[in-house]
Amino acid sequence: MEWKTLALELVLMPLVAFIVGMAMVLMMRKIAAKLQRRVGPPLLQPLYDIVKLHAKQTQVSHGLIHEIGIVMAIGGYVAAETLLPVPGMNGIAAQGGLIALLYMTMIPSLGLALGVGQCANPNGSIGISRALTAMLAYDVPLVIVIFGVAFHYGTINLVDMIATQQAGGVATWGAAQMPLLAIAGLFAMQGMLGKQPFEIYVAPAEIATGPMVEMGGKFLGGLFVMQCFQLYTAAVLYVTLFLGGGENWATFLVKSFAVLAIPVTIAMVFPRYRTEDLVRLMWKWPVMLGLLGLAFILP
Amino acid sequence: MTPVDSLFLVSGLTLVVALLFGRQRLTASLLVALYGAQFAALVQTGTLFGDPVTASFGVTVLDQPMHWRYDALSWFFAMITIGAGFFCAWYAAGVWQEAHVKRGHSPWLFHVALAANVFAMVVLLGSGDFLSLFLGWELVSWASFLLMALGGRASGRAALRYLTYAFSGAMAILGAMALLYTQAGSLEYAQVGAAIPKLSAGQLWVLLALLGGGFAVKMGLLPFHLWQAPAYAETPGPGSAFLGAISARMGLYAIIVVIVSMVGVARLVDLSIPFTFLSGRDLIAWIAALTVILPTYTALQQHDARYLLAWHGIGQGGYMLLGLVVGNAVGSAGGLLHIFNYALTQAALLMAVFAVVHRTGTADLNKLGGLVARMPLTFLVLLFGIISLAGLPPMAGFVSKWMIYRSLITEGMPLLFVAAIVGTLGTILSVYKLIHNIFLGQLRLEHEKVPEAPLSMLIPMLALSTLIFLAGFMPGPALSWVAEVQRLVGLPQVQYSLGGVVDPRGGLDMIWLVSILLAGFGVGAVVFYGFGGKSQQVHQLNNYAGGHFLTADVRYQYSDNFYAGLMHLIGPWYRGAFRWIEDGVGGVVDLLSYAMNWVYRSVQPLVFLLATTVAMLVWAAV
Repeated sequence: MEWKTLALELVLMPLVAFIVGMAMVLMMRKIAAKLQRRVGPPLLQPLYDIVKLHAKQTQVSHGLIHEIGIVMAIGGYVAAETLLPVPGMNGIAAQGGLIALLYMTMIPSLGLALGVGQCANPNGSIGISRALTAMLAYDVPLVIVIFGVAFHYGTINLVDMIATQQAGGVATWGAAQMPLLAIAGLFAMQGMLGKQPFEIYVAPAEIATGPMVEMGGKFLGGLFVMQCFQLYTAAVLYVTLFLGGGENWATFLVKSFAVLAIPVTIAMVFPRYRTEDLVRLMWKWPVMLGLLGLAFILP
Repeated sequence: MTPVDSLFLVSGLTLVVALLFGRQRLTASLLVALYGAQFAALVQTGTLFGDPVTASFGVTVLDQPMHWRYDALSWFFAMITIGAGFFCAWYAAGVWQEAHVKRGHSPWLFHVALAANVFAMVVLLGSGDFLSLFLGWELVSWASFLLMALGGRASGRAALRYLTYAFSGAMAILGAMALLYTQAGSLEYAQVGAAIPKLSAGQLWVLLALLGGGFAVKMGLLPFHLWQAPAYAETPGPGSAFLGAISARMGLYAIIVVIVSMVGVARLVDLSIPFTFLSGRDLIAWIAALTVILPTYTALQQHDARYLLAWHGIGQGGYMLLGLVVGNAVGSAGGLLHIFNYALTQAALLMAVFAVVHRTGTADLNKLGGLVARMPLTFLVLLFGIISLAGLPPMAGFVSKWMIYRSLITEGMPLLFVAAIVGTLGTILSVYKLIHNIFLGQLRLEHEKVPEAPLSMLIPMLALSTLIFLAGFMPGPALSWVAEVQRLVGLPQVQYSLGGVVDPRGGLDMIWLVSILLAGFGVGAVVFYGFGGKSQQVHQLNNYAGGHFLTADVRYQYSDNFYAGLMHLIGPWYRGAFRWIEDGVGGVVDLLSYAMNWVYRSVQPLVFLLATTVAMLVWAAV
């Protein structure tokens, strides 16, 4: 590949992810508004929010690690997006693959955890303790899904997975071939995104007892950017693994937004679970579904 | 004189210098230079990429020749051993030694113990037959005991417990050697290697149980792992870092020599366990997987930083064995590479923790906090270390763990894959607690004037951190060593490039990944620092306390029972079953020894003699 094309892709892929991610945040709010019979925010509201948070006069920092944590939170996702193929652009997906992508998305969580820890607020630390516990919960079904998918396609290269699915049509899509794993993946995604009923570790409704307690101004702005990337990554990864990736930008975006609409809609009609209950639930139903799904695809 | 002779000579010389001049202050620096010389002597042997080299001396015991030689496998392990010795001696050479003396300990004992450990391991790694293997094995056991027993009462108890385990293990190995001798008529590797394929399944199982059990003791594999954490954690500073980095891997070396190289993974796969679907390989893989999971989750419950890391050391050993017995090119390379990566990581982590102990006097995770403001470089070392230990990019640990995961997918082993990742997740939880409770959160009043770790400790720590990063950024060189080891022991060789693993079905190129990650951080920094208002730093007590008024005398750090929610759920699963078994076995041995004591003391000596004579006559008659 021409190095100029590659350089352009490496710049464009995170940029696209950010813009689509903002649109996804907007969709999330619009869905919430529809379900609650409100009008909802205007089109550019996510952008306004980021600008507003960055422009605030009071920017309270608790030290260098607090700031570096935010840098890692954004930077980890910027890097991860170049491993996630989109129509027409593969970036460096061939150099990393599925497992590397999965671990790359843990860097932002690590950054956030370090940043919150430096804030010296026990409420924040409790939030991180819950967030890591939740990770231990939803990652178990997630890795079962990852294993199943990688084993089924016989590769961990995402580009090859997309090619296989697109060559064979809808019948060879991951969701058609591995329906149980696709359902388990949805469960895991709900936990990964921290949406209701699994949102207690983010605790957005009672900010004083969650990880965000000391985050204001552009610190919160940075995390907002991270959320855009996070929604995008989860949706696109699901589309890549189970729904044949994007043939072109139109189907790619339709699929991604449709996938994301599922957890967001579920979130708006559910109450929440305590962290332990989350662990118990994640280790039971999606794991059973996932193992059953594995049993079908293993020789 | 062959190059191997010179290696033994330099290593022995180091020990002699430590013995004779260990009391002088300047000797410490001389010893560092001597470890460097050992490293140079090892490189001089050229056995990694070249042919094996034999030592010119040898002994004959009871018509059994004992000889020593170095090959690629010995080179790989000796390189890590001597490297660990070098960095630990460097760490010990300056302020640490002065403080050690001030606490009333002898620097002489420490230097001698460390030099003896390195020497014993160099001898063990050069063994050319089962006799020299056993000799080296015993030397290593006693040398580690010496180092473990240095730290006072708690360490003495832990060291004795280790010795009990080590003796039992050595007896098992001796039994296995007797079995091999009867079958092969020799204790030479070549003859034994030729005889092993002819063993029946039953004999092979006995051999695996005896040898595997004996080697597993040193390696700390389940169920023989209980001694390791206290013994390693209670050893003084750099000694602990040395033991943690490499000592337990001697067990793995022996496992590779006998079980991977002589028996072979293919034979293990053929060896089925009656009445189950499992093979010998599955059994070993599951022992390895349980060794990953159980000690890791025990580490999660520790509130002493040293113990936490020592428990992780046991768990990481499980990954190495898991990768090796999976046995394909990528998996076994991952297992071998993890030995190197883990040694770098664990040495750096323990050094950082002991630097904190040096400055604050405690490793209790409930009595520290906020030290990042006072010891930023030590924080950096610990941060690099935990990222590597948890197996996250961009550090070294990620590469080797990635290879192990990759091989489990290729081989279609879903449950082992999940087990390996569950171990990694437990590690992430546990190391976050480590760094949070020491360096993040609120700085305690008594630590407000704590200075950064002394330079003599910092330099080796930072050097190790640099290596951890470089081994993650460019795993190629380390992979080239590993590929040579694979060639030697008859495993398929991994295809590698400078940046990582080449695999048509999804490889890994760390140069790309790390570069893109650093570029991502650059973008993040531009977004954060380039736009918006300027941030202002505030005092640590200036935070949102939900209406409480904070003062410096209020404890405001969340550290104890850090994962309360999780423990609420999985807490009852900690049953201490292994401790219970250990107590049980200990009780039985106690009882037997009391019985023997009673027979010996209270029964008439004549009766005793009569009984023995009758028994011997019966034996002779049969």
